[in-house]
Amino acid sequence: MDFDLLPNLLGDSSGARRLPEEQFLTNLPRSILTSNPRGLLPQQDDDVQDQLSSTAPENIYHAGFVICKIEDVFEAMADCIIDEKKELVIHLKSRHRPAFKGRNAVSGAIENLPDSQIRSITFPSKKPQEAWKFTALLRILELAHEALVNGVVTTKRCCHQCRNRAFVPVTDILMWQVGRVADCISRDMFYRDPDLFIKQAVVDRYIDDIAYTLGVNRDALNVVAAAKGLVAGSFSIEKKDKSIVDFSSDSEGLLVPNSKDIDNVLIGNVRWILVIEKEATFRTLSTNHYWKLSSAGEGILLTAKGYPDIQTRKLLYILSEQRPAIPIFALVDFDPDGIGIMSTYKYGSMALSHENSKLAVPGLEWLGIRSRDIVSTSTGVMKLSSRDRNTARRMLDKDIFQEGERDEEWRVELQRMLFLNAKAEIQTLGNSSNLEAWLNMQLWAAV
Amino acid sequence: MPYHLPPHQNISRYRTTPPPHGVLCRTLYASYPTVTMSKQYLTTHTIDDAHVTDIFSLAVTPTQILSASGSSSIKIYSTASPEISLAQTLTGAHKLGCHHIVTSRNGKKAASAGFGGEVKIWAVSEAGEWAEEGKIVDCNKAGEIWAIALSEDGQFLASTTYDGRINVWDLADGRKKIREYETKGSFGLCIDMSRDGRFTASGHENGGVYVFNNETGRMLYSLPGLVKPVRSVAFSPAGTRLAAAGDARVIGLYDVKQGEQVANLTGHSAWIFSVDWSDTGEYLLSGSFDGKVKVWSIDRGVCVATHSETEKTLWSVKWLPKTGKSEAFATAGANRSISFYREATGG
Repeated sequence: MDFDLLPNLLGDSSGARRLPEEQFLTNLPRSILTSNPRGLLPQQDDDVQDQLSSTAPENIYHAGFVICKIEDVFEAMADCIIDEKKELVIHLKSRHRPAFKGRNAVSGAIENLPDSQIRSITFPSKKPQEAWKFTALLRILELAHEALVNGVVTTKRCCHQCRNRAFVPVTDILMWQVGRVADCISRDMFYRDPDLFIKQAVVDRYIDDIAYTLGVNRDALNVVAAAKGLVAGSFSIEKKDKSIVDFSSDSEGLLVPNSKDIDNVLIGNVRWILVIEKEATFRTLSTNHYWKLSSAGEGILLTAKGYPDIQTRKLLYILSEQRPAIPIFALVDFDPDGIGIMSTYKYGSMALSHENSKLAVPGLEWLGIRSRDIVSTSTGVMKLSSRDRNTARRMLDKDIFQEGERDEEWRVELQRMLFLNAKAEIQTLGNSSNLEAWLNMQLWAAV
Repeated sequence: MPYHLPPHQNISRYRTTPPPHGVLCRTLYASYPTVTMSKQYLTTHTIDDAHVTDIFSLAVTPTQILSASGSSSIKIYSTASPEISLAQTLTGAHKLGCHHIVTSRNGKKAASAGFGGEVKIWAVSEAGEWAEEGKIVDCNKAGEIWAIALSEDGQFLASTTYDGRINVWDLADGRKKIREYETKGSFGLCIDMSRDGRFTASGHENGGVYVFNNETGRMLYSLPGLVKPVRSVAFSPAGTRLAAAGDARVIGLYDVKQGEQVANLTGHSAWIFSVDWSDTGEYLLSGSFDGKVKVWSIDRGVCVATHSETEKTLWSVKWLPKTGKSEAFATAGANRSISFYREATGG
């Protein structure tokens, strides 16, 4: 996983090894396109959009709305050129620094505080960085627009429909594409212009920025990340096209479905949901049908292969909303990233704090592994790298790790980790039978 | 005191009536034909939930005990009377928690190192009130300092770093860094200074133990190792011996003058986090991951007492300065309380 965002270009190499959510906040401009270079600030639009998204989050409406906004930007650019103005300006709305993040009183999810700041990116500019930013933003806008207009889902892998076409106004086509949900996988975007973007993370970041500015979720831009998560368990999903996906059918687990396609979740006799950091552990358990054979009853296994993507978090959120009584557990490594991953599921990421209310799963409980689990084995214990120590220290400084917070144990375990200068992976628990025995014990006690 | 009896009598005695407050070490029977009497310690007091999280470090003065934990406050208890009472709370001392606290032998200065990487120096008033005197800022990159030690008079502070360097600051002269020792780059987990101020010793993650001569600024010895991480080092009061212990579950005793290992104290079955010499240098105290605290006789090279309040980790064990005839010590760790023990006398 490489979230290192252009340290050479942006002159900030210090953030190269930070947590992804922090990188989002620090390495690139905390900024967002506002739709209107003519000086209208986006507050009113946001209000309108907030109402819209809270009442009727229909893709059709979103698509039309977003397309109009993007076209406004380009129109303003064209006006500037026609009027022979000296520079083109994109107004950028800041996503907040961690200091400006608030916490949801009920769920503890990380949220934005209401105020925000505006920054402008101009072209031409004396700084080469800014010219690059400007270009990248425009290109992403163009690609997002194209995806919306074409009604194509862009994903992180290239879809062939995406052709590099010139921009055309599309109000007519809008009506035609009504009802067609189309997404652009952000990976495509990257491959459309790899020389410009240099890294996938740039695309991801700017898409989040644009979505935040327009006051919509990322999927409203028809841009999704390619499904990363895997899920297996005693449940099935009814899709909008009425097909049914049975997640007990494949012992390897199935890819997490796009939440937009989910019509209904049919949860059987599920007693627990286990969120697993590592794909290898997930595969071990799913191949052995642990979700069916566990002594703690039937369950659901879920992994996002590391830090969770939106789709995986969304699925977990849907499951938790559907049956709030089913306990959700996290099985992560005993290292700073393990705890970071767990906190992303539970409280959301800093970067996407504007979306956390519909993604965070505050009921998540920590199953393992903890310092006491490594004491008993003491094999497979590794020392912390200096990156680990820095990560842990920065995490301790965050809100959710302060004294008296609801997960005080996280703070203690991070401190023990630092004091021991030791970490351990889930695999420390042993091979599949040892792991299952351990899980049986833990789940039995917890369920 | 040696207690000479035919071995079989001892063994039967052990089997039928084990001592109520101390468990004899098995190695004692295995390796020694003449068995020595164990010492017995009684729990005299326990401060339950002294902190809301793990207590990582204890430090003592002639009249007080200072405790540092994962919470932001440092607590100071008076040990002057048997009813140990809270004397002071240094609120908000280290926001991210505090992993090491040390005092100078004369009891006038203290230093504490926090998880945020900051090191604070504290001074005590005539009335016994502690107040912050300053921070170590000179040549201290964020998070660089880990373990710390103060000289007898509190003038010098030594610390280890993540990358194995040892730094010394002069606290009397603007808290300037005056020495930097290089080692092989392995994390310095622990450090101690001899009471006469002549030597500094450090223990490292790769099992290395180094002794430095503070007068010349040179490394004196690189001691043959315990191979596994060394989590505690301590000079004997006379400065002639150095004890080192850690994940090897063994306490190594070294002759400081010759730089040779002179004994191995075996008996712990878990990682050792803390060792401390009694005032006379006769006994060594050690605490481990499995919650056991042991007292070792240096002369005989054996464990003379083992106690455990819980199975939770003991991060720190400390002798209290001797008052009266009997020896006393304190233990603290993951169970968040501080336990006080005193040698059983008159029996």
